[in-house]
Amino acid sequence: MNFTCIIALIVLTFGQLPDAKLYEVDKGSVYFRSDAPLELIEASSTELKGLINAEERTFAFSVPMSSFEGFNSPLQRVHFNENYMESKQYPNATFSGKIIENIDFTKDGLYTVRAKGRLNVHGVKRERIIRSELQVEEGQIEVRADFTVLLAEHDISIPKIVHQKIAEEIAVEIRAVFLPKMP
Amino acid sequence: MLFTLGSGSVLYAQEDDLLALLGEEEETIEYANASFKTNRVINLHSLESTSAGVLDIKISHRFGTLNRGAYELFGLDNASIRIGGDYGITDQLTVGLGRSSYQKTFDGFVKYKFLRQSKGKKVMPVTAAFLATTAIQSMKWQNPDRENYFSSRMYYTFQLILGRKFSENFSLQVSPTVVHRNLVKTSAEAHDVYAVAAAGRIKLTKRVALNAEYTYVLPDQLLPGFRNALSVGFDIETGGHVFQLHFTNSTSMIEPGLVTQTVETWGNGGIHFGFNVSRVFTVVRPKIQ
Repeated sequence: MNFTCIIALIVLTFGQLPDAKLYEVDKGSVYFRSDAPLELIEASSTELKGLINAEERTFAFSVPMSSFEGFNSPLQRVHFNENYMESKQYPNATFSGKIIENIDFTKDGLYTVRAKGRLNVHGVKRERIIRSELQVEEGQIEVRADFTVLLAEHDISIPKIVHQKIAEEIAVEIRAVFLPKMP
Repeated sequence: MLFTLGSGSVLYAQEDDLLALLGEEEETIEYANASFKTNRVINLHSLESTSAGVLDIKISHRFGTLNRGAYELFGLDNASIRIGGDYGITDQLTVGLGRSSYQKTFDGFVKYKFLRQSKGKKVMPVTAAFLATTAIQSMKWQNPDRENYFSSRMYYTFQLILGRKFSENFSLQVSPTVVHRNLVKTSAEAHDVYAVAAAGRIKLTKRVALNAEYTYVLPDQLLPGFRNALSVGFDIETGGHVFQLHFTNSTSMIEPGLVTQTVETWGNGGIHFGFNVSRVFTVVRPKIQ
């Protein structure tokens, strides 16, 4: 075995090794619910993307608004994208920041943490602290976070005529399984 | 103070790096949607289809012409009506039925969208749909003594709709059309009438759009006195309803009448005020994962 071969072997071996500090969403979903007096609207997306940097305890999530499905009618989905979220202009909702608690991602266990960062919905960024549960098990991280978004805080206006049909506060549920990111 | 500011920006820089990392994803196909507010521009079919599992009930009125003057309240004393329903079998295939008071006409159509405008991974510059309609006029025979055939009541229309949403605010479509009439009054009139229709919309606000459509009938097919139809109007959308308010010189709201039976002109005030009300009902509810 000559020198180049050994080099190639080393590159191959280490090249395939996961990046120890970066975790990536393997399966993720976002669900939201608008519970207004006259109408309940629910939709979800399974196109949630996300990264956690375990060393720096930073994270980033992103979901394309046009990937939400459900709603009470196809037209409602069109209106969601066209009139409320303006998805062509603001294609993604994102949340990125840092985990406040100093937790050890190498130790299995259930951690309740506060994720502090900027929530960007409809192009409007808001500082938020969101309580999340992290279940670390055999190198994978399961994230569960339930929070609410105030439409007014993100400049999403509701016409008077549909006030009774759209809630001012939208409940959001995030579920994601993170695996070490392959380089 | 300076230190805090500095560390803050470093923190955000790190997060933005992570966000940027997320951005490195494969391209997806992005379809154009909501080129028009509903599947009709005014009288013409737009390139839009009714979504799968949705029933769209349409009630349309055309009042008399404005030039009838104050005695007939500028046409409002007279009204012609069409009641119809469209149903989306799939997102591409729509069927519909209707009945117009104008010449007591029943109509049915099938519309199939075979190309969808898209960008991203798959680039398609236009949306294209094919429309086939049948209309059956059910007026009493003018001359019951002679031998009358049911087929004389039938009209067929075939139309290709080619359109593009140029921007969020501007959509345009062109529709080559042929109307076949089984029976014509004189031999000087063509059985097959060829026309080209064009329609566009400008979105004024999130919920209001300005629409216009024009049907150009190729020359030497109709008798003198028949005109091209021009219609201009607004779409106002409120949740499940679309209200279309417009002015048109066509009395009929369906293709055979629109193309071959328009006699009024804009020039002398032969303009009908009219409206279409569209209300969608979800018959099959979309599933949530």
